[in-house]
Amino acid sequence: MATIAREDQITRPTYQEITRDITATLGRPSRGYYVLLGFVLVVLAIGAAALLYQIRFGLGVAGYTPPVMWGVYITTFVFWVGIAHSGTLISAILYLFRSAWRTSVYRTAEAMTVFAVMTAGLFPVIHVGRLWYAYWLFPYPNQRQLWVNFKSPLLWDVFAVSTYFTVSTLFLIVGLVPDLAAVREKATGWRRKLYEITSLGWRGTDQQWRHYTRAYLYLAALAAPLVLSVHSVVSWDFAMSIVPGWHATIFAPYFVAGAIYSGVAMVVTLLVPLRKVFRVQRYITVEHFENLAKLLLLTGLIVGYAYAVEYFMAWYSGSPYERAAFWNRAFGDYWWATWTMILCNGVLPLILFFRKVRQSIPALFVLSLFVNLGMWFERFVIIVVSLSFEYEPYAMGHYTPSWVEWAILAGSFAWFFMWFLLFAKNFPTVSITEVKEIIPMPRKQRAHS
Amino acid sequence: MSTMTGGVLASYRFVDAASGAIRTLKAEGIRDFTVYTPVPNVEIAQAVGHRVSPVRLWTLLGGLLGCASGFALTLWMSFDWPLVVGGKPIGSVIPYVVIAFELTILFGAGATILGLIFHSWRNRQMGAYEGRFTDDHIGIFVRCPTERRAEVEALLRAAGAEEVRVES
Amino acid sequence: MAENSNGMNRRKFLTVLGVTGGGAAALSGCSSDSVEKLIPYLVPPENQVPGVATWYASTCRECPAGCGLHVRVREGRAVKVEGNPDHPVNAGRLCARGQASLQGLYNPDRVRQPLSRTADGKFEPIAWEDAIAQVAERLGGSPSDGVRFLTGHEAGSFDRLVDEWLAAFGSRGRVAFEPLGYEALRHANRTVFGIDGLARHDFAAADYVLSFGADFLDTWLSPVEHARGFGARHGYRDGHMGRYVHVEPRLSMTAMSADEWVAPRPGSEGLLALSVAHVIVRDGLASTPADVHRVRPLLDRHVPETVAAETGVPADTVARLAREFTAGPSVALAGGMGIQHAAAHVTAAAVNLLNYVAGNVGRTVRFEGTPTGRPAPYSRLVELTSDMKGGAVRALFMHGANPVHGTPPGLGFRDAMQAVPFKVSFARFMDETAQACDLVLPDHDPLEQWNDFETRPGVHALQQPVMQPVFDTRATGDVLLQVTARVGGPASARLTVTSFKDYLQRSWAALQARVGDRRPFATFWTEALQRGGVWREPSTQRVTLAASAGSLEGSSTWRLPEGRLALIAYPSSALYDGRGANRPWLQELPDPVTKTTWTTWVEIHPETGAELGIAEGDVVEIASDMATIRAQAYLYPGLRRDTVAVPMGQGHTAFGRYAEGRGANVLHLLDAEPTAFGGVATYTGVTLRATGEHAPLPKTEGKPRQMGRGIAQMVTLEELARGEGHGEHGAHAAPVPERIEEILDHWQEGQDEATKYGAYEGEHPRWGMAVDLSRCTGCSACVTACYAENNIATVGPESVRRGREMSWLRIERYFEGGENGEPFEARVLPMLCQQCGSAPCETVCPVFAAYHTPDGLNGQIYNRCVGTRYCSNNCPYKVRYFNWFDYQEPADPTFAWPEPLHWLLNPDVTVRSKGVMEKCTFCVQRIRDKQNQAKLEDRDRLADGEVLTACQQTCPSDAIVFGDLNDPNSRVSALARETRGYHALGELNTRPAVTYLKKVRNLVEG
Repeated sequence: MATIAREDQITRPTYQEITRDITATLGRPSRGYYVLLGFVLVVLAIGAAALLYQIRFGLGVAGYTPPVMWGVYITTFVFWVGIAHSGTLISAILYLFRSAWRTSVYRTAEAMTVFAVMTAGLFPVIHVGRLWYAYWLFPYPNQRQLWVNFKSPLLWDVFAVSTYFTVSTLFLIVGLVPDLAAVREKATGWRRKLYEITSLGWRGTDQQWRHYTRAYLYLAALAAPLVLSVHSVVSWDFAMSIVPGWHATIFAPYFVAGAIYSGVAMVVTLLVPLRKVFRVQRYITVEHFENLAKLLLLTGLIVGYAYAVEYFMAWYSGSPYERAAFWNRAFGDYWWATWTMILCNGVLPLILFFRKVRQSIPALFVLSLFVNLGMWFERFVIIVVSLSFEYEPYAMGHYTPSWVEWAILAGSFAWFFMWFLLFAKNFPTVSITEVKEIIPMPRKQRAHS
Repeated sequence: MSTMTGGVLASYRFVDAASGAIRTLKAEGIRDFTVYTPVPNVEIAQAVGHRVSPVRLWTLLGGLLGCASGFALTLWMSFDWPLVVGGKPIGSVIPYVVIAFELTILFGAGATILGLIFHSWRNRQMGAYEGRFTDDHIGIFVRCPTERRAEVEALLRAAGAEEVRVES
Repeated sequence: MAENSNGMNRRKFLTVLGVTGGGAAALSGCSSDSVEKLIPYLVPPENQVPGVATWYASTCRECPAGCGLHVRVREGRAVKVEGNPDHPVNAGRLCARGQASLQGLYNPDRVRQPLSRTADGKFEPIAWEDAIAQVAERLGGSPSDGVRFLTGHEAGSFDRLVDEWLAAFGSRGRVAFEPLGYEALRHANRTVFGIDGLARHDFAAADYVLSFGADFLDTWLSPVEHARGFGARHGYRDGHMGRYVHVEPRLSMTAMSADEWVAPRPGSEGLLALSVAHVIVRDGLASTPADVHRVRPLLDRHVPETVAAETGVPADTVARLAREFTAGPSVALAGGMGIQHAAAHVTAAAVNLLNYVAGNVGRTVRFEGTPTGRPAPYSRLVELTSDMKGGAVRALFMHGANPVHGTPPGLGFRDAMQAVPFKVSFARFMDETAQACDLVLPDHDPLEQWNDFETRPGVHALQQPVMQPVFDTRATGDVLLQVTARVGGPASARLTVTSFKDYLQRSWAALQARVGDRRPFATFWTEALQRGGVWREPSTQRVTLAASAGSLEGSSTWRLPEGRLALIAYPSSALYDGRGANRPWLQELPDPVTKTTWTTWVEIHPETGAELGIAEGDVVEIASDMATIRAQAYLYPGLRRDTVAVPMGQGHTAFGRYAEGRGANVLHLLDAEPTAFGGVATYTGVTLRATGEHAPLPKTEGKPRQMGRGIAQMVTLEELARGEGHGEHGAHAAPVPERIEEILDHWQEGQDEATKYGAYEGEHPRWGMAVDLSRCTGCSACVTACYAENNIATVGPESVRRGREMSWLRIERYFEGGENGEPFEARVLPMLCQQCGSAPCETVCPVFAAYHTPDGLNGQIYNRCVGTRYCSNNCPYKVRYFNWFDYQEPADPTFAWPEPLHWLLNPDVTVRSKGVMEKCTFCVQRIRDKQNQAKLEDRDRLADGEVLTACQQTCPSDAIVFGDLNDPNSRVSALARETRGYHALGELNTRPAVTYLKKVRNLVEG
C-alpha cells in the first residue's frame, strides 16, 4: 500500500532516516531564502500602501464602475477561499478514505489552507466601504442595540469562513504536535525552546496516542463536511441573489469542485519547488504528483461540465435575462476573460488523460500555473461580467480595475507566501510521524531471517 | 495517576519484542507502566489493551451544543429587535440552518480538542523518558518500588530489551 | 433623518399656512425688516425660529419666462426654491434651471466685492464708495449720448430706472440684449399682424399641436407653462388625448413627446407650413377670416406637390396634416432659436398665416398687448458694437448680459470694448464680458434684491430679498441711484428717490391705481408680496392681417451648401444660452436627449457617422466658414442624415470653476452678420473630420435600447380604444400563469402574516407613487429638484464616465425603431427606488442598513451601512448609489459643496459620508414632517396629497403622483389600478410601490 515501500523505487527509509531527512529541512536558511523573503515583504509593503491610500480617499480609487459593485477584491476573495479547500480535502477526506499517499503531502496542503484562508479573510474587509466598521458583521452586544441580519448570505460567509479558519488551524496544530516532539529532540538553542513549548510536552505515551488517534479521527470527520459547506456558502453569496448568471442552483457543487480544483493546482505549484529545495524527493515522489494530477483531472472535468450546464440552463430557462447574460459572457465586452477561463480550466487539463503528462513534473507545474490563472478568471467572469450586464439596460456599465486593485492583489500573494516561507523553515513540511506510520515497525523475526 | 517517578526504563528496537514485554508484564500483574512509541501502533495498543478513548463523547456533546446555540442565537436575535427585510418572516429558520451547521462543526471541533487535552493531561506521567522514543525506539517505563526493580529488569531484558535502566 | 421637535412643527405649519393662505407668520415673514438686519439669536426675532422654515414668494430670473417662486428659508438661509402655486405662469412648478437658481445665489465663483482693474490688467478690491465716486466722476455733469447701457431682458421697474438714469445723463443709448431673443418670431408678428410682441399659446386648449421646430418644452418662451397645458391636454385621460406632430430635422427633447415626427429638408419648414395653409384655404377646411384673400397669391405659390421637392415631405402628408390641423382646436408653433436659420422669419410668418387661416389666432394663439421692456434684436447689438469701434461710446455699462460669450466672435465685441474708455459691469460672476471691464460692481443675486418683473401683460411679479446678501454686493438699482446722488445737479434732480425699493414701491403705487385697488398701499403691498405679485386676465387683442402679410421679403428657404452638413446650434435645455454653465447641478444634469453631462457633444446620425468613420466618443472637428471647434460625437438616430446638432452653453473661458474650459462654444461656428430679421442664424453648413482622438463620453446612459425588456412601455390610443395594451408586458417568453400568480400571492400573504411584530403591528400606510409616462416629457426638472431636496453630491465628469453619478432619480431614455425603415421613437421613464414590497436589496444587507419600514419604505440607514454594496448588486433597477469618495469632506479633492455652496444643504437631510450606500427615500423627511404636524392636530391619518415629494412638487406636466396605496380612495391607488399601469420588471416579483402608466401615442388611423 505504501507508495514509498514500492520495490521498484528507492529503498524504504528507516525511521531514523525519516527523522533526519525531514529535520534537515529546518536547517540554516540559504541566502536565496532571505532574498525571496525580502522580495515578498517589499511587494507586501506596496500592497499595504495601496490599501492605506484607498482607506484615505475612499473606494473610488479602485476601478469600480456601477453597476459593477464587486470587482477584483471579491474575485480574489473567492479565489483564495478556493485555494484553501484542497488542504482540508487532502488531510481530512483522504484520511477518512485511508489513502496512504496523502501522508507526505498533507502537511504542506494543510499549511497552505490555513494561510490561504488568512489571505482570503482580508478581502471582505478590504472591499467594504467603511473598513473601520467591518466588525459590525459580527453579532456582539453593541450600543446600537442591533443584531446582525442572519438572512444575509454575507453573514453565513462570516460564520463559515471563520469556522473554517479555526477548525483547519486546529487540525494543522494537532497534526504537528508529535512531529514537533520529534524535532524537539534534535533541535538546539531557541529553536528547542520553541518546540518544547509547541509540542505541548508530547511524549507519545500509550495514553496520549489512545486519545490522539480518536481525536484526530473525529476532527477529520468534522472537517470533511465543513470543506464542502464553506465553498457552498461562498457560492450562495451569488446564488442567493437575483443577478442573471448568479442565481443558479448548480452553484454549490460547481464552486466546491472549482475550489478543490484550484486548491490542488496550488498544492502542485508549491510542492514542485519545495521538494527540490528541501531534497525530499524520496518522500514526495512522482507517484504523489500523479495522484494529484488525477485529482486535478477529476475536478477539472466537473468544472468543465458545470460550465456547459450553466449555458444549457441559461438557454433552457427561457429567461431573456439569463440568455442575454450568457451571450454577453461569451461574446460581449469581456469575451477574452471568458475564453481564458474556458481554455485554462476546461481544455488544458484534458492533457492529463496522458500518463506521460501526469508523470512529468515540469508539465504538471506549468499546467498548475494555468489552472490558477484560469480559476481566478472564472471568479472574475462570474462576478464582474454578470454584474456588468443585468436587468436595466440603461444602467449597464464596463469595469476595468485600477492600479490600486492590482497592487492589493499582488500584496495578497506576498502575504500568503510570507507565511508559507516562514512556516516551511520552522516547521516540518512533511509529516514525520505519518510518513513513519505507513512504514511497518521493525520486527525481530524478519530482522533475523 | 501515580506521581511516583522511580522505576525501570527499557527501550526496544523491535515492535514484537516490545509487545511481548508488555504482555509478560501484564501476566506478572504489573499494570503501572507507560509505553512510548514514535508512531501510534496497533500491536502495542492491543497489547496494552485500553478501552476506546472517551474523547468521542466530547465531540458529540460539543456538536449538539453548537447546533442548539446556532438556532437559539439566530432566532433570539431576530426577535429581540424585529426588523422586516425583503418581506420575509422575522425568524426564518431555513437560512438559520447554515449558521447552526457552522456552529455545530465549530463547537464539535473545539470540544474534541478540549477533550483531547483534558484526558491527555489526566493521564500524563512524569517518569523517565528518552528522546529517541520519538524517533525510532519503543520505550517501556515500569513504575515500581525499589525492592521489585531487579525482578522487573530481568523480565524486560528477557523480552529482548536493547537496554534497561533503573531510574530512582 | 433630521426630524424637528414637535413645537417647531406647529409653528412651521403656521408659517406654511401663512404663505399659501393669509396667515400672520408669512405676512411678517415677507416684510423687509427680517432681511435688512442680521439675526441675533439671543433675542429670537419673529418668524426666525431655529428648525422652522420660513417661505418667501419671489420670481425666478433664470430665463425671461419669469416663473413665480416660493423660497424655503431655514435659519436665515435659502435652502430650496419651489414654484409658487398661485402664480399664473407656472402654478407651482419649476424647471431644472429654476431649481438650480440657488446655486447662482451660493455660487463660490460670485464676485464677492466691487473690483477695479489695475494698470497691469488685474482686478483688485475697491470700496463701494470709491467705486461709486469713480463712476460719478467719469460721467460728470456733462450730458451726452456717449453713455451706453447694455442689459439683459428686463421688464419692470429696473427696466424703467435704467432708461430714466440714462436720460438723466442725456443718453438714449440703451440696449436690452437677450441672446435667445426670438427675433424671427417678433419680426413675423410685425410683418403678418403688425404687432410688436410675442403671442401666448394656450396648449391646454389645443387638441392638436403642430410644431415647426419649436422646443416649447425645453427653452421656447415659457416651457413650464407650456408643459403644464400640454401635459393636461396631450396626456391620456379616460379615452382621450391630444395629438402632437413635430416638424424639424432633429428630434429634440420636446419632440420626444410627439406622436409623429416629420423631418423636412433643413431650412424648408416655412414652405411646409405655407403648403399646409394652402391646402386649408384651397379645400376650405376651416372657416377662414375674410381678409385671407390678401394672402391667397402667396399661399397658392405653395402647392404641396411642388413644395414636396423642396421639403422632401410627400404631398399627401401635407394634405393629411392640413386635415388633422383643422379637425379641432389646434395650434401651430414656429421654432425659436432651435431652427433660427436665415429664413426663420419666413417660417414664423408662414406659421402665423397657418394659425390665422385655421382660425386659431385669438383662440389658442393670443396677443395680449405689449409688455413693458422689449429685448432689442441682435442687430441693435451690432450697431452698438460698431459705435463702440467708432469711438462714439464714452462709457459702457453692462448688466445681465454676456455678449462676449453669447454672440459669434465675428461680431468682435471684445475688441470693440477696448475702444471704450470706461466700462462698468454689474455682473454677479466674473464672466468673459466682465473680465474686459474696468469696474465690476457686483449686483445682488435675484434672491437677495428687490425688483419686479412683468412676465407677460397682466402678470406683475415681485422679487424680494429672501435673506441677507451672501457677499459684499449691492443691488444695481441702488448703485445707479447712489451715482446720480453723487453726481448731483440735474441728474439727481430727475431721480429723487433714495433707494431702489422706494422706486419700486412708487411704481407699484401707480400700478395699484391702474388696477383700481382702493385699499391702503401697505395692505396692497404686503398682499402682493405674499402672493408673489398682482395678476389679472388681460384682454385678448383683435388681430387682422397687416398690409405686409402677403409679401415675405427674403428667400423663403435656407439652402444647405453643397457637400456640407447642416449644423443646428440649439439652446441647451439645462444650460440655456450658457448662463447655467456655472451651476454644478445643471452641468451634471444629463441632457434629456443624449444623456451627456459636463461637455459639448455633436449629434450625428449613426449612418452618417459610419460613412465618416466616426464612433461615439470620438473627438470630431466641426468646420464652418467662420471657425473650427472640437466636440465629442454622439450617434443619435433622431436626426436627418444630412444634419448634425450641437448644443449652446459650453466653451466658457471664464465664468467660474464649473464652467471654464468645458466643451466648445458652438456660436463660434455661426456668422456674426445679422439676418434679414435682425437675429443670429443658428443654422450653418459644416464639414466634420474625425481627429482620431477618442475619450468615453461623460454620459449616464449604459445601453440606449431596452432589448425588449418592457421597462418603458408604450401603447397606442387605438389599442387602448380596442381594449388592448393592458397589464404587465414583462420580458418573459410566456406570461406568468394565473396559478403561479395565486401561489405567489398566497406566499406573499404568508410572509406578511409572519412579519407582524414590534413596530409592524397594526395598520400603516403604504407609500406609493404613480408615474404617467403619457405626461412625462423627460425635461428632468425632477432630477434637479431631487438633488436640491436631498443634498445629493455632484461628482464631476471623470466620475460620471465611471458611472458614479449620484442621481437618486434619473430619467432613462430609450430608443425604439429608427433602424431599417421603421419610424424612430424615443421613450423616457423616471427611474427611482421602487420601494419594493419584497425588496431584494434588504435581505442581503448583513447589518440591517437596508430594511423595510412599517409604512412600506425601503429604509436606508446610512450610519448602519458598512458598504458591502451587496444591496446594489441585488437591485434589479440599479437605483442605489454609493459614496465612492468623501463628497462632504472639505479637505478632500472631491468635496461637492465648496463654501458657500454648502449653505444650500437641506438641514432636514443627512449629508452622506464616504463608503455608504444611499438612494431615494420617497422624501421621507417630508413624510415625517407632515406626520408630526398631523399628530399635533390629532389627525390619525394624512389627507391624500398632503405629502408632496420634491420630484412630484416640481413636475411641470404633473406626471408624478404620490400617496398611500393602502387608501383605496387616494389618487395614487386609483392610478395604480388603471389599465395602463405596470411595474417595471414586474415578473421579478419585487412588488414595487411605483406604478408606471404606459406612454400613449396618438397615431393616425391606417
